[in-house]
Amino acid sequence: MRSLMRKVLAFIKRDFNIESGYQAAFVMGLVESLMLLVILSFVGRLVSPTASGTLSRSGMHYFPFALIGVAFARYFDIMLRMFSDSIRTAQVTGCLEAMLFTRTGCITIVMLSSLYSLISGGLQLLLILLGGVLLFGVNLQHMNVLATLLVLLVSVSIFVGFGVLSAAAIVWLKKGDPITWVLGGLSGILGGAYFPVDVMPGWMQKISVLIPVKYSLDALRLTMLQGASLATVAKPVGTLAIIAVVILPASAAIFAATIRKGRKEGTLMAY
Amino acid sequence: MTTTNAPSALISTESSARESPLIEVQHVTMRFPVPKRYREWVLAPLRPRRVFTALTNANLEVQTGDRIAVMGPNGAGKTTLLKLIAGVLLPTEGKVLLNGHNTLEQNTAPRSSVGFVFNEERSFFWRLTGTQNLEFFGALDNLYGRQLHERIEYLLELVGLPDAGDKVVSTYSTGMKQRLALARVLMVEPDVLILDEPTRALDPVACDEIIELISTTIHRNSRKTLLIVTHRPEEASLLCNKVIVVEGGTIRGSESIKELSAKGIAVVDYYRQLMVSGRPS
Repeated sequence: MRSLMRKVLAFIKRDFNIESGYQAAFVMGLVESLMLLVILSFVGRLVSPTASGTLSRSGMHYFPFALIGVAFARYFDIMLRMFSDSIRTAQVTGCLEAMLFTRTGCITIVMLSSLYSLISGGLQLLLILLGGVLLFGVNLQHMNVLATLLVLLVSVSIFVGFGVLSAAAIVWLKKGDPITWVLGGLSGILGGAYFPVDVMPGWMQKISVLIPVKYSLDALRLTMLQGASLATVAKPVGTLAIIAVVILPASAAIFAATIRKGRKEGTLMAY
Repeated sequence: MTTTNAPSALISTESSARESPLIEVQHVTMRFPVPKRYREWVLAPLRPRRVFTALTNANLEVQTGDRIAVMGPNGAGKTTLLKLIAGVLLPTEGKVLLNGHNTLEQNTAPRSSVGFVFNEERSFFWRLTGTQNLEFFGALDNLYGRQLHERIEYLLELVGLPDAGDKVVSTYSTGMKQRLALARVLMVEPDVLILDEPTRALDPVACDEIIELISTTIHRNSRKTLLIVTHRPEEASLLCNKVIVVEGGTIRGSESIKELSAKGIAVVDYYRQLMVSGRPS
C-alpha cells in the first residue's frame, strides 16, 4: 500500500512538472468553460421552466440544470478519454515500453498515468461550479454533500471502466477509438447535459435509458440542487452501481488481454 | 552459451557444464501479423492476415556472466530475439525461460531481472530533467526517498552526467541520452543487461566513451550478463567473450571470441564467413 502511494505521488509529480510548462492550456480551458456558462445563462433567459416536464415538476430553472449537466458531462468526458490519451502519448513518446519494463504492472501504470487528468479535471469542475455560484447566483445551499459524493464516486467508477476500455481499443486499433466515439457522442445528445431528455422524441428517450451519464446527471441534479436524500436517488445510483460492478473488472481484464496481444504480435508500441 | 537452429549451428560449452542456464530460448519462432490493406479487405475479406516471420526456430542458452555480441545485418531478427528474451515480446511458438520463469506465463518477474537499453532513446519525458526522469522510473522500480536519491547521484556520476541531472532531457545530445538510458537500467542492478545498438548515431569519441562506460559497468560486476547488438566488430571484441550471428531470422552461428582469436580469426572475418556461406570455414 505504501509502495502504491509512493507511485501515485511519482505519477502526479511527473505530470505536474510536465503540465506546469503548459499553463496556457489550463487557463484557456477554464476561460472556455466560463464562456460556455455565459452562453448558457443567456439561453436560460429564453427557456421557460414549463418548457419541459422535468423542469416544471422540479421547479428547476434552465441555467442551474445546464450548469450541473455541462460541468459534470465535461468531467466524465475527460475520464473517458484520459486513459487512451495517456497510453497514446506514452506510445508516441516511446515511454510506454520503458514503463512496462519496470516492476510495476501494466494496469497500475495505465491507471496512475491518468490520475493527474482526474485531479486537474476535478479542479476545473470545481471552478466551473464556483463560477456558476458566484457569478450567476446558482443556489447550492441545499446540496446533500454525502449523497452527491456517493453519486460522483459510482459515476467515476463507471467512466474509469469505460476509459480503460477505450485505452484497450487504442492499444488494439491504434487510431480511432470506438468506445469514446460511441459513448462520448451519444452522451452529448442523449445524456441530458444541455436539455432534459423529455424534450426529445419518444424513440430517442428510449435509447437514452442506455446512456450511463443520464443516470449520473439526473441524480447529481437532485442531490445538488434539491438536496435529495440517498433514498430518493437510490434507483439511478443502483443502476450506476450495477454497471460499475460489471464494467470495472471486465475493462481491466480486456486491457490486460490487449497488452498481452500487443506483446504477442509485436504491436504494443505501434501507433 | 549454446545455440542451434541453423545448418551451421555451433556449440560453445565454456560454462554450460557449470550451472543451469540463466536464459533459455527454446524453439522460438516469432511471427508478426501484417495489417490488411483496404484492397485486401475488399478483394479477400475472409483471408487471414499475412504474417512476417522475424525469427525461426531459434535456440539459445546463456549462462550467468556471459557477455554476448549479437551481430547481423539490419532486419535480421536481432532486436526481436532480444525483446523476446526480455519479455517485451511473447513468442508465437516455443518458449523463453529467464531465471527459470517462462515469459509466457510469468511476465513481470522475468522482466524485472532485465535491463534493456533501446536503440532509439525517445523513451524519456523530454520536458523533465534527467534527475526527474530517473526519480520517476526509480519509483516504478520501487525505489524511494534517500535510497533513490543516493542511487541517482551515484549513477549520474558513473555515467558521466554529474552536472547534467538538472537539465531538461530535450537539451541532451544523443550520447547524453544513451548515458541516461544506461543509468536508468542500472537503477535496480538487473541480472541481465541488454543493449540494442548503444553506440548507434554516436560520433567516434562519444562511442568510445559509451564503450568504456559499459566495460566499466560490466567489469564492476562479473556476474552481470550482457547481450549487446552491435554492427561494430571491435565493439564485440572489446566488450564480449562470445559472438552470435543472426541472419534472415535464424541464428547462423556462435563462437567464443577467445577461441576465434586462438584460431587467428578476427570477429569481422567470422561474421563475413557466416554471411557469405552460411557456415564458418
